[in-house]
Amino acid sequence: MTVKVLILEDNPVARGFLCRVVRESFSDTIAITEAGDLESARAQISLTGGATGMHGVDPFKLVLVDLELPDGNGMELLTELSQYPATKIVTTLYSDDEHLFPALQCGADGYLLKEDRFEVLVEELQKIVRGQPPLSPAIARRLLGHFRQGNSSKLLGSDSGFSVPAELAGSSRPVPIERPPEHDRLTPRETEVLTYLSKGFTIKEIASLMGIKWFTVNDHIKSIYKKLNVSSRAEAAVLATKHGLV
Amino acid sequence: MGRPAMTARWQEALQRGWMGWRLRALAALALIGCLGLFALLRVLAQSPHLAVQFQASSPTVIELVATGHTELRPHLNQHLVSIGSTQHSSIIADPSLLRRAPRFVVDDLKRLGIQAQQSALAQLALAPEVSLVFEGGHTVRVMPMPRGFGGLGALFWLLSSLALVLYLIAVAVFFSRPGVKNLLYAVMACSQSCNLIMMAIEALPGWGLPIGLADTNLWLRTVCDLVTVAAILQAFVMHPVPLRNWSAMAATGWLVALSYAGLVLIGGVASQWWWTQALLLGYSIAALLALTLSRRHEPHPASLVLRRIGVAATVTLTLLTLSIALADDKAQTQHLIATIGSVIWYVFFASLLLLVPFLSRSQHVMREFAMLAGFSTVATSLDLLFITIFAFGQFTSLTLALFVSLALYAGARQWIMSHLTGKDIVSVERTFECLYRAARAVESSPQHTLDHVGRLLLDLFEPLEVRRIAREARDSIVAANGSMLVVPLPAFAHLRDTLNPAEGAYVLRYARRGRRLFTLDDARLANRVLEQLRSAVAYDRAVEQGRSEERTRLAQDLHDDIGARLLTLMYKAPTPEMEEYLRHTLQDLKTLTRGLASQDHLLTNAVGEWKVDISQRLAASHCELHWAFRVDADVNLNVVQWSGITRILRELVNNVIAHANATRVEVDAVFERGALRICVSDDGHGKSPASWSHGLGLGGVRKRARVLGGQVQWTERQPQGIQCEVRIPRIAEGRR
Repeated sequence: MTVKVLILEDNPVARGFLCRVVRESFSDTIAITEAGDLESARAQISLTGGATGMHGVDPFKLVLVDLELPDGNGMELLTELSQYPATKIVTTLYSDDEHLFPALQCGADGYLLKEDRFEVLVEELQKIVRGQPPLSPAIARRLLGHFRQGNSSKLLGSDSGFSVPAELAGSSRPVPIERPPEHDRLTPRETEVLTYLSKGFTIKEIASLMGIKWFTVNDHIKSIYKKLNVSSRAEAAVLATKHGLV
Repeated sequence: MGRPAMTARWQEALQRGWMGWRLRALAALALIGCLGLFALLRVLAQSPHLAVQFQASSPTVIELVATGHTELRPHLNQHLVSIGSTQHSSIIADPSLLRRAPRFVVDDLKRLGIQAQQSALAQLALAPEVSLVFEGGHTVRVMPMPRGFGGLGALFWLLSSLALVLYLIAVAVFFSRPGVKNLLYAVMACSQSCNLIMMAIEALPGWGLPIGLADTNLWLRTVCDLVTVAAILQAFVMHPVPLRNWSAMAATGWLVALSYAGLVLIGGVASQWWWTQALLLGYSIAALLALTLSRRHEPHPASLVLRRIGVAATVTLTLLTLSIALADDKAQTQHLIATIGSVIWYVFFASLLLLVPFLSRSQHVMREFAMLAGFSTVATSLDLLFITIFAFGQFTSLTLALFVSLALYAGARQWIMSHLTGKDIVSVERTFECLYRAARAVESSPQHTLDHVGRLLLDLFEPLEVRRIAREARDSIVAANGSMLVVPLPAFAHLRDTLNPAEGAYVLRYARRGRRLFTLDDARLANRVLEQLRSAVAYDRAVEQGRSEERTRLAQDLHDDIGARLLTLMYKAPTPEMEEYLRHTLQDLKTLTRGLASQDHLLTNAVGEWKVDISQRLAASHCELHWAFRVDADVNLNVVQWSGITRILRELVNNVIAHANATRVEVDAVFERGALRICVSDDGHGKSPASWSHGLGLGGVRKRARVLGGQVQWTERQPQGIQCEVRIPRIAEGRR
């Protein structure tokens, strides 16, 4: 079966490069749809059943999104696709947490740094799709802070340098506001993993330090990603209620 | 009284302000004082007198020098023989008739005679007609007439108005903050006010004083003097620092003073003048001792200033006593000294009293005033001394005294300036230096702003203690009679959120290590300095913010534009070497822009990122990483340090990956006592590093290490491989 991939990237050379990375990463037959800006990407997505992907017969399985686009920021699309059943990956030149963290909050499953070598990119992409998203020390630090201070005061990291997309408030699906707060909090194990990550330990090292298997560490990381996403959606819902949109 | 109690009391007093009843009582007492003085003026103006002025022309005779009676005009410059009336027996005229003040007559008998003469004269002035017998038997009859307000004489007006001022100040001081100390001050001031009034009456021109005055004068003045010194003694044993058994000391003082006054009232004691003067001096010395003791107890600046004033007063009193005693055998001169000298001494003392409540108001006024008073006293005393001891003529002695005093003034002015109230306020240079240092310190570590401000105040005023208290105040104020200065914290913009409002002001106690009182000048200086500091810091921050915005914009542009182009170039690179080169360039650009855009980096955070970066790159080239890192304290790396070390490490690892063909890399980083040492060793086939051509890569490493004040050294390892050691001896927490 053909795996449908959407690559949203304005630089044609980079687009070609990413196509090669995607083809190299998977053994399945790949059908790549390329888009140069947000508008054409939206058009392609609506062809396959719209932003929720529920009615589509054959939605994209993998979406690569660049952040800086001619007609807007890739995060806008990520927010719209928060319910879309695809693996969403941010491809960017920015490696600092100020740019990446909001993207992760918008529902990205991982990120690739475009200047990495071909082999590195292939490996990273495979990891993300397998469910081993990367967490740099800076992002881990940011996550620790995010969950420690609770997430009511800050919306999507207001100092990110990006304007918070206004469409955020309009996310179509009403999310229950009375969400139990445990969902937003990290377990002690997860906090421990994040602390080690923020100090630059690799997953293998963390596993041996904590006396657990490496894939358990990985599970913790995935769970952290999920909670980040959930907490940001809860925030969006709270905001929407406040504005009388829901 | 403990320190907290004192603080609480003055705070309370500050908040209490003026209450209605106190203001009313003050106004009533002031009115009573004015009305009383006016009534006295009226009585004196209406009492009859003989408008005559006599002068002693030889030790036994007096001659008429001026008169307001036309009948007496022809007898100007004639000697008076006796004076009398139809009702009264006549009084034989001699120079003792000219003496009115029995207070400073040394000899008991002489004093009694003078008192009797003055009483008789007072009676005489009441008679409708008085006859004066001049030499050669000429008898002139004149009618005593009222003085009128114009006839009271300049000296009378001066002394009585000084007395009134002193009285008003005493009342105001007492009611501004009723308490034992202020009551004592009021007692002293009122006694001296009474003394001044007495002297004013003695100074009335013409013959004939109100009946009864001659008898009460001596007693009243003695009592006033004794009450004053007893009050001074009590004040100094309990203020500024209460001594042990102060109540017993004060009680003894009052007991002795009052019983002596009682003795004087019922009939006097033998050698009364000597006893009185001895008591006065004894009390003064006891008070000075008390001050010295209390200063040993606690170095309160007030005790120092008060002691200086006390010493001045005591010394001048001793001088006066000595000159009067020495001149006892020369009736003429003794009269002169006793009259003029005592008046001057009392005026001097009254001025000192007037000065005390304003000690902390303005240093300059106080200084100049005290010096003027002091030097005029010295000049007069010297004048009198020359006349008495060396028997110089009036003119000679006056000139000499003036010259000596002027010389003294010129020589001692500086010394007195610096010692009367302590050192001058800090010099401009010093103020500027302190201010500049504080501004720099606040800028480099804003989290310690409060400490820096405290240190600035400490440098400026050298107080014994700086404390922070809860207080909402806009301006600095001097409290607790100048021993304290309360300085509100300036409104620093960066502290607005974090500042605890319960610690809004600094309290400085005891300026110059307790050797000086705070003055209003100090309060103004503190206000101005802190305002300057605030604006300097605000300016610095505005500049820094502008710089930071500019840097961020620059970084954004570089990253977005140049970065995208480099990326495209990298994808299109014809050879892997070129691609790798461009990748490093791109990574350097990213490090650069990130350094530009972000603030300081914590060392431990940076180490984590270095580790991840290095391990990823080594993993990609199938090389094992052994990482060790020890740190004894976390510091903030500034941008230069962060990007410098980041690029050194990257270059070293790139080098290993590109050339060494190693299977294992060890990175050992140690941060101890401010020094950073990083060792990167590999097991590759690199050899004799001394012979390497130091191209762009290694040269860059050397250069960056040098910029950070460190050095790099490559050595060969056994059995194979290269070790590179980077040492940066000092990574101080610095500014960007």
